[in-house]
Amino acid sequence: MSAARRPDADAKVRGAVEFGTDLSADGMWWGALVLAPVPHGTIRAVDLSAARAIPSVVAVGAADLPRLLGGAAGDPDRPAFPGQEVVYRSQPVAAVAAESLSLAREAARAVRVEVEERSAVADLEAVFPEWPGPEAARSPHVAAHVLARHGDVDRELGGAETVVAETYRTAGVHQVALEPHACLAEIRDGRWTVRTSTQSPFGVREDVASILGIAEGSVDVEGTWVGGGFGGKGASLLEPYALLLAKEAGRPVRLALTYREEFLLGRSTLPLVARLETGVRGGRIVARRVRLLLDVGTSLPGRDFATGYSIGFLLGPYRTETFEVEGFAVRTNKPPFGPHRAPIAPQAAFVAESHLSAVARAIGADPDEFRATHLWSEGGTTNLGQRVGPFGLAAALASARARAADWRKHKPPGHGVGVGLGFWSTNTGAGGEARLTLNERELVIEQGEREIGSGSVLVGLAAVASRRTGVPAERVRVDYRGTTEAPFDSGVYGSRTVGALGRAVDEAAVGLLAELGRRLGTPAPVTLTLQDGAIAVRFGQEVRPLPPLLTPEERSGAGLVGAGRHYGQAAEIDASRVVDGTFYPYQDFTGAAHVAEVDVDTLTGAVRVVRYAAFHDAGVVLDPAAARAQVEGGVAMGLGTALTEEALWSDDGRLLNAGLLDYRIPTLGEVPPVEVTFLEGYAGAGPFGAKGLGEPPIIPVPATVAAALADAVGVHPTELPLSPERVARIVKAARPSGGTDAAHPG
Amino acid sequence: MTPVELVAPATETEALEELARGPAGSRAIVAGGTDLLFDLQGARPGPTHLVSLRRLPWRTHAWEAGGLRVGATEPLRTLEADPRLGQELPALAQAIAAVGSPALRRQATLGGNLGRSAPASDLAPALLALDAEVELVGRAGARRMSVDRFLRSSRSTALLAGELVRSVRLPEARPRSAYLWQRVRPANDISQIGLAVAFAPSPGLWRVALGGVPPRPVLAPDAARELAGDRPAAREIASAAERLAAHPALVSDRRATEEHRRRLAAVLCTRAIRTAVGEPRDPP
Repeated sequence: MSAARRPDADAKVRGAVEFGTDLSADGMWWGALVLAPVPHGTIRAVDLSAARAIPSVVAVGAADLPRLLGGAAGDPDRPAFPGQEVVYRSQPVAAVAAESLSLAREAARAVRVEVEERSAVADLEAVFPEWPGPEAARSPHVAAHVLARHGDVDRELGGAETVVAETYRTAGVHQVALEPHACLAEIRDGRWTVRTSTQSPFGVREDVASILGIAEGSVDVEGTWVGGGFGGKGASLLEPYALLLAKEAGRPVRLALTYREEFLLGRSTLPLVARLETGVRGGRIVARRVRLLLDVGTSLPGRDFATGYSIGFLLGPYRTETFEVEGFAVRTNKPPFGPHRAPIAPQAAFVAESHLSAVARAIGADPDEFRATHLWSEGGTTNLGQRVGPFGLAAALASARARAADWRKHKPPGHGVGVGLGFWSTNTGAGGEARLTLNERELVIEQGEREIGSGSVLVGLAAVASRRTGVPAERVRVDYRGTTEAPFDSGVYGSRTVGALGRAVDEAAVGLLAELGRRLGTPAPVTLTLQDGAIAVRFGQEVRPLPPLLTPEERSGAGLVGAGRHYGQAAEIDASRVVDGTFYPYQDFTGAAHVAEVDVDTLTGAVRVVRYAAFHDAGVVLDPAAARAQVEGGVAMGLGTALTEEALWSDDGRLLNAGLLDYRIPTLGEVPPVEVTFLEGYAGAGPFGAKGLGEPPIIPVPATVAAALADAVGVHPTELPLSPERVARIVKAARPSGGTDAAHPG
Repeated sequence: MTPVELVAPATETEALEELARGPAGSRAIVAGGTDLLFDLQGARPGPTHLVSLRRLPWRTHAWEAGGLRVGATEPLRTLEADPRLGQELPALAQAIAAVGSPALRRQATLGGNLGRSAPASDLAPALLALDAEVELVGRAGARRMSVDRFLRSSRSTALLAGELVRSVRLPEARPRSAYLWQRVRPANDISQIGLAVAFAPSPGLWRVALGGVPPRPVLAPDAARELAGDRPAAREIASAAERLAAHPALVSDRRATEEHRRRLAAVLCTRAIRTAVGEPRDPP
């Protein structure tokens, strides 16, 4: 096999790496949270006395915050513990720590929580029984409002030959990282120190300081190995509680969620309802109106990013002559919204793609041909007036259509084949810095970011450094540091690690080579190579040993240091089209077209995906094996969103399936072989033309499965997930005779 | 989870003596433990002792003159690997293959599955349709009863305090039998419906059993009565399916609505009978 072996594979297979849930320290106590028993209510009492009466137990609640924080106020909008009101079930109202986990749990149960229950609302459509107008933007139930407009939509809809109006609904989904949230906190020399499983050590530092009202400079965060993030570990969750407990106990405290708690208070992606109305004239989309209600739980007003980001995906990557899009981030009594791999994009792509197919069918056009004729072109602009750079989506669609045509030729009865598209933006404005050190044994990348499993840090950043310098990848080592020592970076999220942080690594590598060239006094390009097992310097035809080029200090251990930074420029959208709210521009477009073949049992509604092909523009691929693994994993995860994953909330905000028994992620049995193809020739802004690939693979999956289902049964779904019961219902509604089985009680 | 003591008696007598010790509820019986461990995490007060049956000589199955005898602690995976099972008792082979995952089936046992009496057990409907018997043993001696009498309700059986399931007996070969199930996710999920049918050659009668329904899997004699002979006519199958779809045990819960369960019961009934008699799953 030509692909490089993952440097962490051995240790992970042997169980030798330390994940958050493996953290321990001498004299450590165990923490546990006390959770609100109701989704909404007024706190009458949080009585810690019975817990504190147990020997070797400490307990902290809202009343203790001023004492523990030296009078610091913290963020009044998001205090560590609520003083007066609980706004979602399982909101932490107190925390305890004890010398054993079972004692900590006993102490947590001993805390008396008295909450006067108030009416709660968790159903998006119950908040606004009538579809809200612009005046609802000021409602206390709305965390954010966005509105963009171009042209006269009403007139164009009125003059259209065909208008298709539909309503779509999608369910909430959890990230389901194998490792639950876990951290170990300690007050060390007066500093707030926490080791934690996170996608963003610097983000946690900022959050902790803000929540506790303390200086960022007094907080040290060190990442551990991360057992999966998928967006769920991008912000702080447990760290403030663990730190408060450590302060109170005067010793290290470890705090981890049980898997049930992971469901109950982890930040998940919540349901949405979208209404789309599209008008066509002369085979062209002349108008589209999009209305979105996105459930953001108890996200704070002004802190919702998802609505202004995701609503663009509801227009799809298609030219629309006039449009109006309006979105409301609706507050409900659920935990705050949290990102789930490409937040809302798989759901939005399902809506946009299914609707586009419905529009095409309504005018008698082939949906995939209709897609191809409306697709944004490279060098053109998006509907919000943003310029589209190198973009391989048209090529991906052409490949997908060819594959779909081939599969359709051979499909047995009951099978369907469908195509779905998705696009994404990587290399966002979020910044990062890098430091490289070189000695004759190795090239070291000093990093605050930990590997979250995708390979983007260990394989991706190393590939950038290796490719730029010539040092073989196995001689490039990533060295993790806490936030106090490591160069700043925004986090391992947003498909940005290789594309954006990789640029900083690349700049640092270029700096190293330039410095060596200066010391050699050569204008020739300098690279590194191995000579007799040591890293040596090559320029022109010459190879020189490294040590003589280093200062005594560098030789004795510090190494030659190179630094780089990359703070991306946000792209521009046409501001004249924005009426209200913040629309986030996309950057460095990536796109993918997927093809699925499904076998549908029309009587039971069971859908089995029998084969799958994914065609991706990921820019220049730096490590083919890691890239292929990202696509395979993203498709597997997307099949869960498409088919089985669904958070079941009661109308008043109680999560009914807080566990892996009734929240069903795919098993290997549900994931077919995935054929992965990368389309070359669409260089991105990342190092060597790379684009991000963490999120794009999940985006087209629900749309693709839905298209294949529609091909098989002749009717397209408007809800996710496509559970057997939902599928049986739509098939039955479409064919009142109920299929071929005479016995079924239709 | 409070600490518990694990004891593993080597003989049946020692096991029964151990069960008789301590206050009521202090001893929990462990066979494979795949289901029990879920309970122990929440049980309060839980058992103080787990009585493991792993050392008892019950990990066996044997084809005898009267049929198949399966020791209570025989792992499902071992049964599954016996090619005679699929030929002689296809409904049981299909039900076993439906349980959890291969790894779980190495651990899980037939006796444990029956003894835990779960409403969504995949094995219980197959054993009901195949007219299986359970052999119980206690300090007062052994007794036998039909699986239908043994299962009482969810998590409740005819097992008396201090008694153990020793074996399960299947009366004779029933090659015309089948078990079908439906789930939201095919692997590692709980069946919304389990449906077993079996034709008993000597009285020449069908038995139909339904699982995935509260409070326990049940026989559906009304549906079975519609079927005559070893090769029922299409209209008989349709009548049986219709009867089954009207069964009062079919209700809504968070895994399926009543409407969907009734639909599944009819579809699976038709398919199970057709499969049992070797016809294509769906009528042309």
